[in-house]
Amino acid sequence: MSNSLNIGSIDDIDEGEAKVIPGDENGTGNDIAVFHAEDGNFYALDDTCTHEEASLADGWIEGTEVECPVHSAKFCLKAGTALCMPATIAARTHKVEVTDDGLVLYPNVAANADA
Amino acid sequence: MSTADNCSSQPEANASIGRMDRPAELTRNIDVSNLVDSEGGLIDRSIYTDHTIYGQEQRRVFARSWLFLAHTSQFKKPGDFFTTFMGEDPIIVTMDKTKKIRAYLNSCRHRGVRLCRADAGATKMFTCTYHGWSFDLAGALKSVPNEQAYPEDFDRNKWSLIEVPNVQIYKGLIFGNWDHAAEPLEETLGDMRYYMDAMLDRDPEGTEVMGGVMKWELEGNWKLAAEQFATDWYHVNMSHASALMVLSPTGRGPKPEIVATPGRQFVSENGHGAGFPTHPKSRFDAKPVHEYYDYEMLRERLGDAAVEGPMTTGHATVFPNFSYLPVNGSIRVWHPKGPDKIEVWAWVLVDKSMPDDVKDAQRLYNLRTFGPSGIFEADDGENWSEIQAISRGFVTNQVPLNFQMGIGSEKEDGTYPGKTSELYSDAAGRSFYKHWSKLMNTPAWHEKKEEA
Ligand code: FES
Ligand code: FES
Ligand SMILES: [Fe+2]
Repeated sequence: MSNSLNIGSIDDIDEGEAKVIPGDENGTGNDIAVFHAEDGNFYALDDTCTHEEASLADGWIEGTEVECPVHSAKFCLKAGTALCMPATIAARTHKVEVTDDGLVLYPNVAANADA
Repeated sequence: MSTADNCSSQPEANASIGRMDRPAELTRNIDVSNLVDSEGGLIDRSIYTDHTIYGQEQRRVFARSWLFLAHTSQFKKPGDFFTTFMGEDPIIVTMDKTKKIRAYLNSCRHRGVRLCRADAGATKMFTCTYHGWSFDLAGALKSVPNEQAYPEDFDRNKWSLIEVPNVQIYKGLIFGNWDHAAEPLEETLGDMRYYMDAMLDRDPEGTEVMGGVMKWELEGNWKLAAEQFATDWYHVNMSHASALMVLSPTGRGPKPEIVATPGRQFVSENGHGAGFPTHPKSRFDAKPVHEYYDYEMLRERLGDAAVEGPMTTGHATVFPNFSYLPVNGSIRVWHPKGPDKIEVWAWVLVDKSMPDDVKDAQRLYNLRTFGPSGIFEADDGENWSEIQAISRGFVTNQVPLNFQMGIGSEKEDGTYPGKTSELYSDAAGRSFYKHWSKLMNTPAWHEKKEEA
């Protein structure tokens, strides 16, 4: 069993934008970025880039990838995979669901796992 | 939109300017008093060719004067940026997260690579392509790959971007000054504001620039162009004879009264200049622009004298290297690229409220006359290049140039603010060089040693 968190309406995050759920709110201690990707879906990754220090929520969303605003590493929003240098380590994914009550985030639950 | 305060927010970074206490030989200064005779109207040609004088100009003219950076309409949201130069210093102009316009030296603090290589765009960070140091919109150094390998006292604040400490805006025009104690922009402009307002303040909504920046290179010293736009209506009938023939409605050339038009030339102690014919029916040349304007409304807004003079046909320079032509909305910077080369950067300025088709008509008229291949522009550039090309000859270089037209003609005429001279006069040129030589002979902010 894992915790879930209602993080507001889907209208809060425009397509191509992201929102940060701070570590103390999401319970993991690490900021989580929730992205509204250009395929229309919502995805969540640890907000801090795995290369150095940068907020991926500040990055550029293209399709279902995010480009880090600092050194331009790219991550797959679905799987967290580091797609190019200088990042080599995948970003951790978190499960997000769109429900009638809005967006629900499952911190520490991998995107492809069952809640 | 606002600008940075009169002090840099990266004081620790800016303390690195001149930090290494350079030997004096690197910054040798020449006394230029004998090279500019502003009373007698004589100029020595070495001021256009000498490399020591050129270096001194970078330090004592460009590093302490208000220099045009960009137009406010180029920045709409945080992260919008534009890259330009102040003298030969590369500059990033950007809007920070609080919507302040800020300007930084476009050189990475690590090993000096040009930090931002794009002409303009939008970004979240300025990241160096060499080793990846990354700076945010406030100039702060945010990321240093492998930072743990630096000494313990490595302080990111000290290695943030060098910031232009003084950025001020006059009616949409953004200017920067490296001297944080410089006299405020508006005071430096003084009466020049009246002449600028005739272009910048026709529309209550203000102005905007269209499209990108046109850039071209010329052989010639930057002062030849700046001085001409300050003071030289004299060349119009000769240099631009063919263009005037083509544009005259009859095709047989302008009427005698147009050639012999009266007019005034504003002369500023701070080196600015603006000249314009005066006529009760002064009008804009591009037909759709002329038809768009309600001249009665403009008379109410700007006053009769502005509408009959500096609002339309004329020329102007804001010292040292920003010039404009109100009739076609050309605003431009003469970037110095060595004593012998100018890079011209020109924007098309229009009123915000103009309908798109009128804006476009003005843009086309601008391109046809004063774009890089405009029928007037080419005439001017050709003359400056011809001056420069031969000026290194030993004898040539020591024969003074003549700036004697209208000596003693400057006066307050009761109509136009400040001192003015005749339309055909070298008065603003003489004061341009007088101010230049004063700055050249006066130590600047970076030369005053801090007291211990
Ligand atoms: S911090 Fe994200 S790529 Fe370097
Ligand atoms: S030169 Fe910019 S990071 Fe090294
Ligand atoms: Fe000209």
